[in-house]
Amino acid sequence: MTSRPEHYTPQPYDPYADDPYADDYTAGGWFNSDGYVPRQPSYDGHEGYQGHQQYEVHQGNQYYEVHQGHGHDPEVYPYQERDDQPTFALRTVAEPVPAEPGYRIPETPDAGWDDTPSRRRAWVSRGVLAIILIVQTVLSLRLSNTAFQDEALYLAAGHNIMEHWANGTPLHSGYESYFSGSPMLYPVAAALVDGWFGLSGARLLSLLCMLGATALLYSFTRRLFNERVALAAAALFAVTQPTIVLGRLAVYDAPAILLVALSAWIIVRTNRAPVLAVLLAAPVTVLAVAVKYASALYVPTLVVLAALTAWHHRGWRCVPRALLFGVGTAVLGGVGLVYTDVLAGVRQTTTNRAHGTDATWTLVQKSAEWGGLMFATAVAGAVAYGLRGRMNESPRSYGLHGPGWRWRALLGVTLTGTALLAPAYQIHLHTAVSLYKHVDFGLLFAAPMAGIGVIRLVGKHFRYPQLGIMIWVIALCLGVSQAEWRFGLWPDSRGLVKAIEPYMKPKGRYLGETDEVPVYYLRDRTTDSQWTSTYVIGYPDKKGVVHHGKNGYRLALRDGWFDLVVLDGVSTPGLDTYIERQVTASGHYRLVGKIPFRLSSGDTRAYRVWAKTS
Amino acid sequence: MHKAKRSFPRWALLAACLITAFALGGRLLLGGNDGSSGTGQGKATGAGSSAGPYSDPPYDVVPLLKPAKKYFGAAVPGAPTSMKAADAYARMVGKRPNLIEYYAGWGDGFDAGGVRRAWAEGALTLMSWEPFDTSLADIAAGKSDAYIEEYATAVRRLNLPVVVDFADEFNGHWDAWGTRHTTPAQYVAAWRHIHQRFLAAGASNVIWAWAPNIVNPVPDVKLKPYYPGDAYVDWVGLVGYFTAGQDNAFDSVFGPTRDQIRTFSKKPMLLLETAAVPGERRLADVSNLFAGVKADNMIGFIWFNYKKRADWRLEASPLALQEFKRLAADDRFGFDVRKLS
Repeated sequence: MTSRPEHYTPQPYDPYADDPYADDYTAGGWFNSDGYVPRQPSYDGHEGYQGHQQYEVHQGNQYYEVHQGHGHDPEVYPYQERDDQPTFALRTVAEPVPAEPGYRIPETPDAGWDDTPSRRRAWVSRGVLAIILIVQTVLSLRLSNTAFQDEALYLAAGHNIMEHWANGTPLHSGYESYFSGSPMLYPVAAALVDGWFGLSGARLLSLLCMLGATALLYSFTRRLFNERVALAAAALFAVTQPTIVLGRLAVYDAPAILLVALSAWIIVRTNRAPVLAVLLAAPVTVLAVAVKYASALYVPTLVVLAALTAWHHRGWRCVPRALLFGVGTAVLGGVGLVYTDVLAGVRQTTTNRAHGTDATWTLVQKSAEWGGLMFATAVAGAVAYGLRGRMNESPRSYGLHGPGWRWRALLGVTLTGTALLAPAYQIHLHTAVSLYKHVDFGLLFAAPMAGIGVIRLVGKHFRYPQLGIMIWVIALCLGVSQAEWRFGLWPDSRGLVKAIEPYMKPKGRYLGETDEVPVYYLRDRTTDSQWTSTYVIGYPDKKGVVHHGKNGYRLALRDGWFDLVVLDGVSTPGLDTYIERQVTASGHYRLVGKIPFRLSSGDTRAYRVWAKTS
Repeated sequence: MHKAKRSFPRWALLAACLITAFALGGRLLLGGNDGSSGTGQGKATGAGSSAGPYSDPPYDVVPLLKPAKKYFGAAVPGAPTSMKAADAYARMVGKRPNLIEYYAGWGDGFDAGGVRRAWAEGALTLMSWEPFDTSLADIAAGKSDAYIEEYATAVRRLNLPVVVDFADEFNGHWDAWGTRHTTPAQYVAAWRHIHQRFLAAGASNVIWAWAPNIVNPVPDVKLKPYYPGDAYVDWVGLVGYFTAGQDNAFDSVFGPTRDQIRTFSKKPMLLLETAAVPGERRLADVSNLFAGVKADNMIGFIWFNYKKRADWRLEASPLALQEFKRLAADDRFGFDVRKLS
């Protein structure tokens, strides 16, 4: 029990405030002629009043004794009804001066923190984001290997195109027919950087793209939800295998992901702006698709996002916004198709990509390994968000339960479901080629929901931070180990390049299993047109008859057509055995060397280089 | 009750994430993955990339196969284990030999130190590998594989060019691996087997010299059946001497063998072991030797400077030595083998 009256409110001292005899004073003055205050008997049987009241004010964990009132006379005088009598003498009684209280109890806020935006809040979040970006940078930069064949291909093509533009050098092959993005965009940009800073520079460009994507993810997630969710989403996205690897791989995907993220950011950022503002995202989206055709898979998600993000402010008028964005993108894309020659490449590498032989279950397993944890967290987040929309514990939060459940469910399904697009499409094609890269596009969209999943797991007032930390640490461990494994799947080509460099002659003809790599590293001494890959051959014999396939390789080697043969046993191991037999049988070739390498897959293999000696 | 109800979604979330994580982590640890980027296959171990057993790229011997200048070789006792005799030979003839031949029995260890010492003086080492106690059939059958493997590994580890001439003079009947004991098929099989084992060990730094004796003393033994094939041979090295009782014209001594071999092989040819019988004719023999090597576009010769059955040493005939010295001064003979790579 507490002695505190229910109505008690601390007030500055007022000597009259609680005086029960105030009326008596009014009626009869303070004192009678004897200097005694007339008193009435209390009705509860006690006489006088409890002048020394003790209040206990419970505030926090402290109890304060509040002394109210002033000096008093404990003496009780019986009430006597008597008439006023003439005053014979007046005595001046010093009026008691009220004592100032030692402190005043502040008003208790209804929430321990403020959920409204503030500079401090923004900068703290940006600081955490900066740490996340540093972690992402470190994880990417610690990966090390020589150029992957795709990197080598794009960079060499970029150099070739630039030389074509600058000096009119003929283009070596129809890049647009088999590149999975426009050869005139990323390859040229990357080659430009490569020309100045080498492969590390080109890879740094990819890292900047991926860091930009993470930062944009943070930004649009913060706007969709709040800082906590945004930071959790960025932290998870930054440590997944695809993100780490793409930050260290000079290929199309990093800039494409950046552009898709920028497009999503514009769509979210302009949700309150005039409808036309959404058109700002259209050229960015078209550019993303041009950089990498597979980005088109994510345009529907962006269209839905354009509608959903404007729902609160525009109601059903959000639909025209989405349509405007969709039409704008389609028109720009159509114009691009009309004025460029990329349609064949789009068909070859994306829409009509050759079907592989990878089993569905294998592809599901791979997708689960590379993005499964984040996807599961996103699904959990989407379910949790669908069930309860409230995004923070502050009772002042506007719209405590957030948007309606239908909107929440739709957003959750849209963002989380996008992560399934790439695996589903590749399962349809039965190919695992580049799956790990394409998964990252989907994870970019699933990340906000994964952020919600983590935040819901952590709970209100950061009650279970260890759970969020645990999820992140598991994601980090998986991401780091998978990224290292991924970066060791191709051989270190330094030894090979050194070994074959003396054989590069202006009129030399070379057979190379992964010819893109030597073409890139030795581009000052050889060109793409001097090389034949182990994928396709068209060998013209002395009579002018062109031979293809295995027979083409056999006849070319028999006739000593190639000056150098380089096999690595990685891309076409089956054909390698055949070619090696033909090399031995021809007698024209001599083994220059076997350069062993070990792949992260555990296989130890070797480059085998034969030079024509007779 | 209320608390339990509220905490359910969190634990459901946690359980879902953990199950996923453990499933992924378990798969990752247990392996069973492949590259899928179009390049890699096999099990995931998380191992680093590209760490081979040798840190240096293999020595490319191709530039040494057919150099612009000619090998000026010598077989001198003790070299290359010690280069003192080779140095003395160099002082005697006025030019440093760039091809040092030595003889090793089947079962001997590889003299990496000797090869390194010769290399340090700008000379290539040629090892004549002679299987005195092991039949070629056994070698072909793989009974010496452990030895070959060890030898090849030592050669690869050294990573300097070495010339190997296995079972030379096979077309003669005087050696244990000669025509009386070995068929051409066995010889070829043994050669190819050794060659393959060396390549399997990565020892591509071996120059393979196929070394028949000149056919003059054994005209009935055809060489072609003994030829392992162009893919297994880098040099054709003739073993032949200017001996008494035969015409000393270069064509007379080496012509028949050369002509026969040129019907089935165009590999670079050298005189892998030669000398002239001591005496007054040696001066002319030496002259013919230098002229013939140049005329036939052979890649060089090795002078057998031993006193064995006869005194083949140059110092045994001062006049011939003087002629040898004069002809050896020709810039076309001799070069620093280290500068060709």
